[in-house]
Amino acid sequence: METYLKNKKLIAIGFLLIHSIAILIFTRGFLLTRTELPFHSTCSDVSLSPCLTSPPPSNHDSNPDSISSHSNHTCWTKPVVDRVIIIVLDALRIDFVAPSAFFPEPKPWMDKLTILQKLAFANESSAKIFKAFADPPTTSLQRLKGLTTGGLPTFIDVGNSFGAPAIVEDNFINQLVQNGKRLVMMGDDTWTQLFPNQFQKSYPFPSFNVKDLDTVDNGCTEHLFPTLYEDDWDVLIAHFLGVDHAGHIFGVDSSPMINKLEQYNSVLEKVISILESHAGPGGLHENTMLIVMGDHGQTLNGDHGGGTAEEVETSMFAMSTKKHTTSVPPEFDTSSCKQNSDGKQICISSIEQLDFAATLSALLGISSPFGSIGHVNPELYALGSSNWDLEKSESGNFGTQSAVKEWMKNYVNVLCVNAWQVKRYIDVYSNSSVVGFSSDDMARISDLYAAAEQNWTNSVKHLLMDRNGDENNTNRSAFKEQIAAYLNFFSSVVELARSKWTEFNLNLMITGFGILVISLIIQFLVVFHGDKSYAVGFWLSTGAAFTLFLVTIRACSFLSNSYILEEGKVANFLLATTGLIKLRYSVMKKTMRKEAVIFLAIASVLRVSIDIGLTKQAATSQFMSSSPSWILGIALDLPALTYAIEIAPIVSVVILICVLYIAIAKTPSEGMWNEGMWKYVTVGSMISYFLIALLWASESKIFGLDGLLQVIGGRNRIPQTVYAIGLVQLFLLASARMFCAGEKKYWATRTVALVSACSSPVILLSGKQGSLLALAYLLAGYCIMRLEGVERITKLDRQNKLSKLNPLCVMQWSLLSICMFFASGHWCAFDGLRYGAAFVGFDEFVLIRQAILLTIETFGFSIILSVFGLPILLPIHSQTPQAHSQKRHQLFQMYMLFGVISATTVTATILCVTIQRRHLMVWGLFAPKFVFDVVGLILTDLLICLASAYYF
Amino acid sequence: MKEGKKKKPETSIGESISALGAFFVYLITGLFLAVGFWVVRDKYSVDLISDPSLTLRLLWMIEFPIVVIIFSLFRSNPKKCSYFRAVGRSIVGLISGAIINALGAVSLGAPVGMQSLPKTVHWSFLMSVFTVVPATAVFGASWTNWHRVFASLKPTGNIEYMILIPAYGAIIGGWFGAWPMPLDWERPWQEWPICVCYGAIGGYIVGQLVSLSLMIFLRKHKNLKLA
Repeated sequence: METYLKNKKLIAIGFLLIHSIAILIFTRGFLLTRTELPFHSTCSDVSLSPCLTSPPPSNHDSNPDSISSHSNHTCWTKPVVDRVIIIVLDALRIDFVAPSAFFPEPKPWMDKLTILQKLAFANESSAKIFKAFADPPTTSLQRLKGLTTGGLPTFIDVGNSFGAPAIVEDNFINQLVQNGKRLVMMGDDTWTQLFPNQFQKSYPFPSFNVKDLDTVDNGCTEHLFPTLYEDDWDVLIAHFLGVDHAGHIFGVDSSPMINKLEQYNSVLEKVISILESHAGPGGLHENTMLIVMGDHGQTLNGDHGGGTAEEVETSMFAMSTKKHTTSVPPEFDTSSCKQNSDGKQICISSIEQLDFAATLSALLGISSPFGSIGHVNPELYALGSSNWDLEKSESGNFGTQSAVKEWMKNYVNVLCVNAWQVKRYIDVYSNSSVVGFSSDDMARISDLYAAAEQNWTNSVKHLLMDRNGDENNTNRSAFKEQIAAYLNFFSSVVELARSKWTEFNLNLMITGFGILVISLIIQFLVVFHGDKSYAVGFWLSTGAAFTLFLVTIRACSFLSNSYILEEGKVANFLLATTGLIKLRYSVMKKTMRKEAVIFLAIASVLRVSIDIGLTKQAATSQFMSSSPSWILGIALDLPALTYAIEIAPIVSVVILICVLYIAIAKTPSEGMWNEGMWKYVTVGSMISYFLIALLWASESKIFGLDGLLQVIGGRNRIPQTVYAIGLVQLFLLASARMFCAGEKKYWATRTVALVSACSSPVILLSGKQGSLLALAYLLAGYCIMRLEGVERITKLDRQNKLSKLNPLCVMQWSLLSICMFFASGHWCAFDGLRYGAAFVGFDEFVLIRQAILLTIETFGFSIILSVFGLPILLPIHSQTPQAHSQKRHQLFQMYMLFGVISATTVTATILCVTIQRRHLMVWGLFAPKFVFDVVGLILTDLLICLASAYYF
Repeated sequence: MKEGKKKKPETSIGESISALGAFFVYLITGLFLAVGFWVVRDKYSVDLISDPSLTLRLLWMIEFPIVVIIFSLFRSNPKKCSYFRAVGRSIVGLISGAIINALGAVSLGAPVGMQSLPKTVHWSFLMSVFTVVPATAVFGASWTNWHRVFASLKPTGNIEYMILIPAYGAIIGGWFGAWPMPLDWERPWQEWPICVCYGAIGGYIVGQLVSLSLMIFLRKHKNLKLA
């Protein structure tokens, strides 16, 4: 017998291991992670590079003083623009900006930003329209992070700070501040969340309300125009949200969208006229660059987040207030041209958003962010490069030729610094990250870089140093070759980074999924193994069939995003269905009708609680519309109601104390000391409950216990005591289990002791709803047990044998635990975590401690209590040793069944995530669901191991 | 012993309707359901989607009398219980059945807000007409019959098949009808209780067909046995 029980523990541990391995493999393929490095670039770094630290001497610059005066402001490269205005128009599709000639057919929303087209396609223009490619995930926050860090933010950037989204990685904004540039920001408050301290002045407006099309935009324009006349800033960021919101609410093809675009056109017209009026020599905007860009695109329905062409293709308009910019050599020109309706040649170029940070850093002459993997875009760089005083040689063809050469000289040096910086990042990353790049990839990249660098030190560097190099053609081709070598290096770096950070590894995903499916089959076999009379009901019993049906229908429901959003409601629907079935059954057997009705009533109460949770979720989720179906029209400020709300949790804590008292009073108190010990442990929980009630009573104003908290020394004292009692209880239980292996009876007492020990911290962390939920949970568990007993009683099993276990009761318990998760106000998203719970009892932040508290709060009811409380479902009375061992076998099967139910739903989630990996909501909805499910499964397996160690 | 006592009057009812009779009963109830929809569409020019509560009210108000009139004919123990008493008790059955249905729907997740209250009420009246009313008309307050037919699923005689199977059909159909509700298709029929109604009516009709074929099958079976 003992060896058999040991096997059981091994089986539980085995499943934990298999699941962990499967999930680990799947996660490596699906959840792309990237380690954030804490390093920052500084100006002095550049001396380590092989490149020219001072700007290359100009052919035409005969005045050495001007160089030295310039080099005071030079960081990595010579600055080419003085000020930058970045206007971000959220969710700007490419066809909002580019002329309709570029698209198969003109649509009503095209050609609305006419001012940009007019400027870009004017003769002698210093403006350009780019088609900009964003990298998924195309959500504003991730995109702003990508734009400013020059990297590829993934779903989980390891190193994210706890709760707050502020960017800790080195970024463009940070570099600006470091180099003494002054920043002004207006618009979307995401910027101030990401960069809490960097802006000298900021006018943030809440981006929260999607239905509000105008607040952010009006706030932006109100501050934008006055700021343009001021000289106390170097970089201005204005982030308009109207187009994004109009898309979310009305879609692209709608009149609010067109109104928004027309409004932006007039705003931009005004901005440009202000810039042009101050663009003269010595003017405020003598050398300013205006960039109008989208952070991502959107689909025609206004959705974004995924990686479809409509979402990743956004646009960028760049304009320099200086005229006569250098033209880019055709080798590096990415523009595509079309004839417009007037027969005029119009061209738009293309750019990767990845290159934004590096290019702007080069334009402003600051060091580029440490983690940037983009390169300086030739065309955007050329727009600003009119700064080199070329007025002297501005005569005919020769002038342009030399201008091109001049540009190339600068560009090749900029690229050299750029390449050195990217190489440095890649090296440091692969050395310090947990999952770095493979050595093959690294070797390939190093070869490319080494070749380019060799060429640089051997020839190009000397050509640049050489002040009097006149042999134009050889120089030009050498430069071009060098630029091409660098660009080759960059493209292979970016390709590698993309494959690492934005592409799923389907092989790993399928392997992980396959392992999980195999483990599922084994688990099923274990559950239904052994045709003993007391085993789980055989294959064809109605209970088993119905359980299978419920599990299947729940698993299938995860294939649709709608059901994932309303998972709580679905689980409750199924729970109530099982309740109805049981009601019919108990009516049939003419017993336990009361229990069945109570169970249904609890299900109804839970659904109201779940509805409340859903409205909370809808408030923050961009995928849900709130449906206040639960509002009964009762004024919530009735004094009697507030009184009831204050008093109900405390009353239910008192009831819980009474229940515990009854539970331990019933068990025989005589016997060995260790039986008494389980009782003392339970008494500890009663003290904890009492303390919790005391804490809540003192927090509410009704009882007049306000002074109590001061007396006992702060509001953290009680929670800490409760945690301490809980830990001592667990310690006692574990040691009692270890040293008093002899007794195997009275395990109902043991269950009570363990569950009550775990429940007090869970209730405390869940807040005032906790005690109510615990009471509902207990009552529902009792009802399930009694209803399960219907069959046992009616079968008249008088031979002290346990009847077969109906798997339906385990399914009910599992559904109940899921309902508890949602009813306690959680949902499967990271904003559904209740960060406040991590600070119950503690003021300062310690990562591990707070993470444990948060885990207990999140999974307390749904996993911890439900796994440990599973023995509640077994009827208490059966006295003979034979029945006892049978019961233990049955309990083990119940645990296996519980595990298999959880594993099935997780497998369904994983299948769904695999199928929907290119879905629009993959990062917003499926991935968080996946993370919650997977963590839940591992935790369930782990707790089943612990429980089987404890109970067997 | 108890069973034996009950058997006699029931067999006498069972004989009172043949499969053909059941077919006509179904035809009439189905016809009146169609009439209900026709009245709603042509006289009030609304439908289930545009005005669910009015539609449902008209539907059950048209369907209820016909169900009562027909099923009261087959009341058990016709000697002791007059026809009008059967009609009277089915009105009580309508109301109590509606309450039970409404409670069931709420526990399964039907909205409980004030604005959806009339819809829920009229929906549960219609469900009551489908499920409880025929049984009250036939059985009255005889709990043993109720228990035998609905809980133990042991109907005897055609009339009990006609009560049991369409009722379960309506409930199961309604249960399945609720599944499209959370989907984000944003169709007007996804609102409570429209698709549940469709499901229930569909299930009711399927139940009628199933019970009809069951009756025919059983009769043949019996004939075979007799032969």
